[in-house]
Amino acid sequence: MVAVGTLVASALQVAEAAATEQIEPAQIGMGDSARLTIAASGSDASTISPPMVAGLEFVAVTQSQRIESINGVSSASTTVTYQVIPQEPGVFTIPGATPGSSPVVLTVNPSSGPGAAARGGSAPLAASSARPSTLPAGSTRVTANGTAFVRLRLSKHDLYVGETIPVDIQVGMRDGFVASLNGLPTLNGDAFTLNKLSSQPQRAEEIIDGKPYTVLTWHSALAAVKPGELALTIETPLTVRMRTAGRPDAGLLGEADIDDLFNDPTLQNFFGTSTEKDITVASAPTAFTVLALPVHDRPADFSGAVGNFSIRSDVSDEKVAAGDPVTLRLRISGTGNFDRVTTPMLHDVEHWRTYSPTAKFTAEDDIGHQGQKTFEQPLIATQAGMQSLPALTFSWFDPNSRRYVVARTSPLNVAITAGTPTSRASTTASLAPASSNNTGASAAGDRDDHGLRPDHVEIGSSTASLMPHYYQAAYVAVPSLLLAALSGAWFWMRRREQISLAESAKASEFPQTESLLASMEDAGAAGDTTRFFQTARLALRGALASQWRVDPASITLADVEARLSARSITARVFKLADEATYAGVRLEPADFQWWKQLVLREIGNEAMS
Amino acid sequence: MNSRKLVLSLGAAILGLAAISAASQAGTVDGPVIRSDYSAPALYDLGNFYARAGRPAMAVLNYERARILAPTDPDIQKNLSQVRESVGLPALHAGWLSQHDRLANPNTLYWLGVLGLAIIGAALLLRRARSRHRALLAGGAVVGGLLMALSLGDAIATASTLHECVVMAATPARTSPTSAVEPLFTVSLADVVNVRDEHQGFALIRDTQGREGWVARRDLAPVIPSAGTATDASTSPEAPR
Repeated sequence: MVAVGTLVASALQVAEAAATEQIEPAQIGMGDSARLTIAASGSDASTISPPMVAGLEFVAVTQSQRIESINGVSSASTTVTYQVIPQEPGVFTIPGATPGSSPVVLTVNPSSGPGAAARGGSAPLAASSARPSTLPAGSTRVTANGTAFVRLRLSKHDLYVGETIPVDIQVGMRDGFVASLNGLPTLNGDAFTLNKLSSQPQRAEEIIDGKPYTVLTWHSALAAVKPGELALTIETPLTVRMRTAGRPDAGLLGEADIDDLFNDPTLQNFFGTSTEKDITVASAPTAFTVLALPVHDRPADFSGAVGNFSIRSDVSDEKVAAGDPVTLRLRISGTGNFDRVTTPMLHDVEHWRTYSPTAKFTAEDDIGHQGQKTFEQPLIATQAGMQSLPALTFSWFDPNSRRYVVARTSPLNVAITAGTPTSRASTTASLAPASSNNTGASAAGDRDDHGLRPDHVEIGSSTASLMPHYYQAAYVAVPSLLLAALSGAWFWMRRREQISLAESAKASEFPQTESLLASMEDAGAAGDTTRFFQTARLALRGALASQWRVDPASITLADVEARLSARSITARVFKLADEATYAGVRLEPADFQWWKQLVLREIGNEAMS
Repeated sequence: MNSRKLVLSLGAAILGLAAISAASQAGTVDGPVIRSDYSAPALYDLGNFYARAGRPAMAVLNYERARILAPTDPDIQKNLSQVRESVGLPALHAGWLSQHDRLANPNTLYWLGVLGLAIIGAALLLRRARSRHRALLAGGAVVGGLLMALSLGDAIATASTLHECVVMAATPARTSPTSAVEPLFTVSLADVVNVRDEHQGFALIRDTQGREGWVARRDLAPVIPSAGTATDASTSPEAPR
């Protein structure tokens, strides 16, 4: 009983604690910041949590706590100061930090001028054009600790590949238990794609199982990328506050009891120490049946557009001078996957020069599901007369009728006059001053109303790519092949020279060498060593003379030893020739053949070297 | 001499190849003319069209492209400067090519480089063949070397153009490739920036003032489009998203 009494008394003390909020200044411009001071008595610092207001960022600057004891009665007060940084202009209501405290209002003016659109409410409302949700409620699966949930609201669960359907993603956060939303909701899985989320979530309060939740709703469009029976979940990262331990004097009540009895984060924090934890909250799996687009009757120009569209075309001018540009516009409006809405426009039209088209999408909702895509193609007529622009076609798949639709515009006629194009009219009138200036500096007269020099009449040469040849593989190969060809020619010429030299040497020297070899044969057979070696020396001299390009008679033993080697066969033959002549050296009959082979090999080597 | 005839034939073939290719570029060779989509006058006229339509970024993009094909055309230079000044930019962006006007179309210089290589090769081959006109051949090799140097210098200068983009919408530049961080500065519409890196839909750019930051890649259009994008219905970079 005592404990319960203490508990109730403490609770009452906290409940009666005063909290004040003050913002200074109350009106700022974009780029400025305000100071929000929250003072609470009878509570600890953790009781004061940073406000959560979409469009405002709160940065804690200072925090102080004061404890006073007067006549034995203790009281505590906490003051937290935040820097408030606006992320967009508007009028923002910052809710009270504690139950019962009054909210404060901050007005953020756009930097370009005073005044801001009143937004009201506890957070900036979504843009006035925001689509009110008409989607059925999805199933709510709250986290185990009851702090948050993520759920989807969809219009249908059966769709085709590529078809986009509106979807609302709702994140519910238990008031006081969620410290921060750490990111936008994201898809879990690769079977679906999600368009860009609406810029500002809608904010609402909702009671689930008797507990208050702040629910943020983003609008977007969902599309499936593959067929099959698929399931989808959405995840959101959050930081939640969790109680880690109860106070000793709160031991009679469990956590659930505290939640049930007070349902107030301030009281709950009073009974225990809280800590923050990052968690990821996922929605309940949502089942889809995704059908593949039919192959039968698929138009040849089908680009993947799925939805319900209408098309129309027009031209910027119905009467222009030859050479003046006109713009052909194709407008495709409706609902569907506009990212797949493409068209090549016109190509190779007789009497027209066509240029690359551009595309511009104007969304009529905040999720890009409904709108109009406009393709603009500049064209220049090259011949006077009534010129026709052919019809444009666009095809898409209608998921409601489950068939392909091919729409065709009407051909357009443009009257092309033979006169001077308006963009060049001023040129003709000002040729004199322009031609008098050789430096190319323009006189005022050769420019049109926009200060531009006139169009060029001649079409000129054209090229398939703006990429310089240096960086195109096909052109890089040209100098490479040329270099290879030149190198090949170089080596071929070198080889030809060698062969030619050898052949000429052989042609000029061989008959004499052959006769000398025959003489050596005769000398060997006769056992005449002197004649044998003298003939061999003559043959070797002839071979060396051809190689060294000198007179054979001028080659001496000293030359041979200097340019070849003293141990070379040639040098030994030269020495043996002298020894046979002057010292009477004689060979055995078997040695003649051996020396003849050596001499032959030597002559061959010298001829080829 | 056979080798000499071979060299002369090879040189004539190379020169003929270069001449045919250059003539094909100009569309003066009989037979099928190369079908193409880019011509300097057409791009220039298109730039004028966008300038008159009040779309300076598209105008600058087409002028820059026209300037690649006709770097010495004074009309392109003047109108490009006019459009840039109309949106508060300096007359010409401070790229290397703007400060040093090139002599000719890069493709012409490319073929001159090939011709220079052919001249050098022919001169060396003829020297190998022991021609008696060694001084003449040496002079030819020098001329060929100059042509090659000119071509290589242009190739190096053109390399910077490969990474140039036109800013199609004034866009914030940030310190990191994410939209979650505060912008450092705003890149001006129609400015020409150099893309130094890319990461997940963002491009690290350096603008004409030397400032660097990450911008959304979709706000940039390359001056030299990649192959195959000449006639695609690309999203207009200047269009609101």
